[in-house]
Amino acid sequence: MNAPFYKFGLFGDEASFIIAFLIGIGFGFFLERAGFGSGRKLAAQFYLRDLSVLKVMFTAIVTAMTGLYVLSRTGMVDLSLVYLVPTFLVPQIVGGLLLGIGFVIGGYCPGTSCVSAATGRIDGMVYLAGMIAGLLGFAEVYPFIVNFAHSTSMGQITLPRLFNLPYGLLVFAVVLMALGAFAAGEWAEKKFGGKEPDPNGSLIGASRKLTPVRTLALGLAAVGLFAAFAGDPYRGSRATIDTRDLAIRVGKGADAIQPAQLAGWIIQGQNGFRLVDLRPEKEYAAYHIPTAQDVPLASLTPDFAAHNEKLILYSDDSMEAAKAWFLLEAQGFRSVYVVEGGLQKWRETVLFPRKSSEISDTAFERQAEVAKFFGGAPQAEGASIPANAALALPKTAPVALPTLPDVGGSNAPAKKKKKEGC
Amino acid sequence: MNMKQSSPKPYWNSYWAGFGLGLVLLTSFVIMGRGLGASGAFTTAVATAVHEVAPAHAENNPFYAEYLGDGSRSPLKDWLVFEVLGVFVGGFLSGVLANRLKFAVEKGPRINTTRRLIFAFIGGGLMGIGAKIALGCTSGQALTGGALLNAGSWTFMWCVFGGAYAVAYFFRKQWI
Repeated sequence: MNAPFYKFGLFGDEASFIIAFLIGIGFGFFLERAGFGSGRKLAAQFYLRDLSVLKVMFTAIVTAMTGLYVLSRTGMVDLSLVYLVPTFLVPQIVGGLLLGIGFVIGGYCPGTSCVSAATGRIDGMVYLAGMIAGLLGFAEVYPFIVNFAHSTSMGQITLPRLFNLPYGLLVFAVVLMALGAFAAGEWAEKKFGGKEPDPNGSLIGASRKLTPVRTLALGLAAVGLFAAFAGDPYRGSRATIDTRDLAIRVGKGADAIQPAQLAGWIIQGQNGFRLVDLRPEKEYAAYHIPTAQDVPLASLTPDFAAHNEKLILYSDDSMEAAKAWFLLEAQGFRSVYVVEGGLQKWRETVLFPRKSSEISDTAFERQAEVAKFFGGAPQAEGASIPANAALALPKTAPVALPTLPDVGGSNAPAKKKKKEGC
Repeated sequence: MNMKQSSPKPYWNSYWAGFGLGLVLLTSFVIMGRGLGASGAFTTAVATAVHEVAPAHAENNPFYAEYLGDGSRSPLKDWLVFEVLGVFVGGFLSGVLANRLKFAVEKGPRINTTRRLIFAFIGGGLMGIGAKIALGCTSGQALTGGALLNAGSWTFMWCVFGGAYAVAYFFRKQWI
């Protein structure tokens, strides 16, 4: 089985909308079943009288997390293809606090307000109107806070990678934490809400019977325990290579990107790819192609990027990049490209292009414009071929680049990707 | 008999409702390679509406532009938009089956309806803003990212609970 099905192209966009609708029905149904159409029930969470929010949310998280772990570990799902919202630490702290305050004041979160409105609750409808007003206001302010919104960027990163802990171990820790929180929550409901634990629906009730709810908790704990010892859920550490296919692709040079082409993409502000600098940190710090990210060869683990992400690699010359290309292909990455000639050629053709009789004046003018854009300088005709050290490399330009009209010529801008996250 | 039919049925046990929700989320991971969401659909809707009224304004605004796509098809043809339509339908269906459809205002006994609705509006506004700064709401970040052990999502989740508990006392008259 090759899942996620959509990412393996098993069906197209049109079909995905039908699936979206059906998944949404399931989402809304269970939210309403849980009582989340009622703002009063939701808000009771924050007065410790009814901890349904905690219970529903963490049961859902643990169910999906353990399920996904098992499916990925057994090879049925390629976990690297499941979309991760990138982490922007400070904006997410600020946004989270705002959401929490809004939750207590409004009584809902966006998803539950839909369910509330759908079941006739007027406060849910007003809440939705408020949210739309908030979005309209935010859009006008956004241009002024865009730098803040993009600050403390950490990329797509999971807790196991951040703390360098085994994925399965963290799965187990989250299961245990959730079960602990459930027990504490039931205790709080009894103390602050005066609710006696329901003998059939609680974990800490007096009866010693193995109720279905307790069976569910034990089951989740068992899968968590399995995860703690079962290893990494990411594919790729034991991939097989089709050497024939690789050979054909190498022969065709289909994996190469010309420096000039890359320059055009960067100037246009395209973001449909990830540019990877393979050199050590020190050299990266001295100079790198704008927008590039430093990932030394040894750090190219199978989970460093999503397997279907477009990766463009470069190093000083083609050699090192070719090694990395092979490594990533072997790990199952599907669209890896190499900047032909590496930084060497980038320097010669993009930063310091030389006028020669073979190129027209207008073409050279465009090259000169590109060179200046990247902080380089065009070279006059007949100038001696600069040695590596002869030309100082420019300071790396800031990531936010202005757009230059009509550069890159034949490279039509790639389709603008719409946001995938929430 | 009549009485029985019109009185709302009790809510499901939280653990089973959560288990069901978790399975829906897992299904979304396996079929689509993405989780659930809510606020994004409203952003797309707002961006599309603004684009209808003032196209130039929407296209020049970097926030709207991100949700308008490349113009090759309607921005409303979006996965989250269809998903949220489903949320309305699913919530409605569940409400019908449990006799919970009712035009009413959810509030505690110590606040009047007008004030409650003003608070709902303000809370909704804050949520809209917060969700955009954090790149997601409780569905897209806390639930989805939580299950994926996403670093930012867990940070976000603790901050939602932290923010809510920090101010809950001041709004207690609204709820209890």
